[in-house]
Amino acid sequence: MTALSDREQLTSLANQAADSRVNLEFETEGMTLNMGPQHPATHGTLRILVKLDGEQVISADPMPGYMHRGYEKLCEVRTYPQVTTLVNRIDWLGSFANEVPWILAAEKLMGIEAPPRAQYIRTILFELSRMANVSLFLGDLGIQLGGITVGFYAFRDREHVLNQIEAVTGGRFHPNFDRIGGLKDDLPKGWIAETKKAMEKMRAFCDEVEDLLFGNEIFQKRTRGIGLIPPHVAQSYGLSGANIRGSGVDWDLRRDACPPGLVYDKADWKVWTHPDCDSFSRSWIRLQETREATKIVDQLLDSIPSGPIMAKVPRIIKVPEGEAYVATENPLGEMGYYLVSKGDLNPFRVKIRSASFNNVSIVPWVCKGVYVPDVITILASLYFILGDIDR
Amino acid sequence: MGLVASGKVPKPLTHLLNMSRKYSLWCYQWGLACCAIEMGAAFASPRYDVMRLGVIPFPASPRQADLVVIAGTVTDKLAPAVRRLYEQMPDPKYVISMGSCSNCGGPYWDSYSVTKGVDQIIPVDVYVPGCPPRPEALLEGIVLLQERIQNEDPAERFRGDPIVVG
Amino acid sequence: MSSADTATEADTPAEPEAPRDERREALLARLQAELGSDLVGSHIRAGDDLWVRVTRDAWPTAAEITHRRLKYSFFDFLSGLDWLPSPFGRDMDSQEDILVHGQEAKEPPAMAQGYAGGETRFQVFARVYSLTEHMGITLKADLPDDDLSVGTWSGTYAGANWHERECWEMFGFHFVGHPQLAHLYLPGGFEGNPLRKDFPLLARRVKPWPGIVDVEPMPGGAGDDEEGGE
Repeated sequence: MTALSDREQLTSLANQAADSRVNLEFETEGMTLNMGPQHPATHGTLRILVKLDGEQVISADPMPGYMHRGYEKLCEVRTYPQVTTLVNRIDWLGSFANEVPWILAAEKLMGIEAPPRAQYIRTILFELSRMANVSLFLGDLGIQLGGITVGFYAFRDREHVLNQIEAVTGGRFHPNFDRIGGLKDDLPKGWIAETKKAMEKMRAFCDEVEDLLFGNEIFQKRTRGIGLIPPHVAQSYGLSGANIRGSGVDWDLRRDACPPGLVYDKADWKVWTHPDCDSFSRSWIRLQETREATKIVDQLLDSIPSGPIMAKVPRIIKVPEGEAYVATENPLGEMGYYLVSKGDLNPFRVKIRSASFNNVSIVPWVCKGVYVPDVITILASLYFILGDIDR
Repeated sequence: MGLVASGKVPKPLTHLLNMSRKYSLWCYQWGLACCAIEMGAAFASPRYDVMRLGVIPFPASPRQADLVVIAGTVTDKLAPAVRRLYEQMPDPKYVISMGSCSNCGGPYWDSYSVTKGVDQIIPVDVYVPGCPPRPEALLEGIVLLQERIQNEDPAERFRGDPIVVG
Repeated sequence: MSSADTATEADTPAEPEAPRDERREALLARLQAELGSDLVGSHIRAGDDLWVRVTRDAWPTAAEITHRRLKYSFFDFLSGLDWLPSPFGRDMDSQEDILVHGQEAKEPPAMAQGYAGGETRFQVFARVYSLTEHMGITLKADLPDDDLSVGTWSGTYAGANWHERECWEMFGFHFVGHPQLAHLYLPGGFEGNPLRKDFPLLARRVKPWPGIVDVEPMPGGAGDDEEGGE
């Protein structure tokens, strides 16, 4: 469970302290660096106020909110099916994955369950959106650490997955495909064989990234031992997804608390953890997760049952009174909806627990005492989407 | 420059000037939301390859850019920054508004924090509809802008007069 | 259902012959033992979740107990609830009255709190999780209208810091002892607390909802139970 031994943690802290001692001798006047709201090294419009002493960060204070769109309020004035359209755009790289916990929460209160075929297709699309999301992370990681080639490859190979999503849902980005009680449509003809080919290409992409990036000495130098997050700190900040598994915590909602409506138990796959707690381990886990996702998709495609794709639901959807919290393991981490219904057409209150919000809230803690270039590494490896922070 | 600003450029020269301007658009990417990724796909991916249209998508700062693509949701908190970015750009400058959010507020039309259209802050030359628009749509927007540049009188632009958005 | 159920429990849908959930009942019993009379309401949905309501004074203590004693060390979220039924008619619930009640505006129903009960309009609620037991606890506390302040959790769960800032600007709750209650999302001069039910969405006043009903037919011939508004 504990990744770094106490001794190792102490060593790293002692090293940091030694660094700051050195800097005291060459003490410089403090400087405030304003990164953002538009900055090449932030995807989206995160603004970070960094106070520097020389090249060392005294404090880093993220200022989100430049992308705040007021989702929780808007959800209260939309009907249940309309909310799906809206929540697509929270984490815009893995859009379909945002719909699923919302639909599952509504289904839980209504007491209906999607037919098995719909559950399989849902899971497959969920994993495809994970690939679309994480492949861009790998490219972006390369770009931010100075390896632009990986970015081009990521954009190229991401299209294979987007094509498959588009073939089913009609949308490259925002499918709006999940419905309460099932899915909008069935799979098109020939899709399964096409997807298997795309999965081959994604696996080749993973191998390519591993060779290009993870084996690269500069990359290793810039990520190993940078941005250490011990497991207990990760838990207390509510880090989830690859960030907490990169701190050695073996926890994955897909395996441990999979809500009914997804069929991860029908496939054989592995949850990866890494004991190093640093930027490298977080990135490496995302790479492995992409591989596992291709495996899950391949297995589910082989065993997909026939049958209807929509359960019997009323035309006008009214969700019975009650409260429910449903969370799934989204590409960025735990994404959940706390839904309060009063039996109306509109939800009464929706609390969106998005992964990036918690993941980024650790930035002030983890950036203290690092050097400026490491801030970029840490931000890249924590991996956030602005829409997911600001909602 | 004085000649152009005074509007006394002979017609063939104007034609030549406009042609050279439209094929060397330095484009600043102001990616804000979902559209940023589609803009990235259009500008940085080998599949769509915007450079074949004569657009150079990597200026280091808005001060070196001719064209800015506002891609994504503009919120009230961000609006001053958008305005400031636009003011930093040298004349003649062009704006493409990409996606429903920056066109009119899009799915957040009733939100308390979203600006209902970037044209409330800065003048827009081309609107690209979609949520998000496909990369091909953005490329078409750029082609339309190039047509517009070809047919315009450069004197107006160089003087930096306010542009009436039709 | 535990013995600590409150009167408002009757408002929530009654689950006939609800299956028992020994693990969550044992957890509730431990919480009850730790908190004593500060635990004023609870609700268990078998196999799903546990809701607990504590008094306002015991709110920071409850965090200490879940974190240190019960080892529910994973922080999920913290936010607020406003139980006031929306005072606005068609502007805010635009579809509701068109579809179901003709053109008549509906009288707002009486205020009713959710699971684990409650007496006040505002509640603060949070959720913590155990990564080893794979169970979560949703905690709630009542906040009286005249004093919307409650102790901070940021000393116990570090992640609560940002959530409390968000909650402060969205609901106007004051978290006593929070290191820096500053705006997180909204620009500095923003007036009002958007997530309160009496905060109007002015854009909806100016222009009504453009689409009346989603007319897309459902696949599989499902859903002919009610007439659509085509």
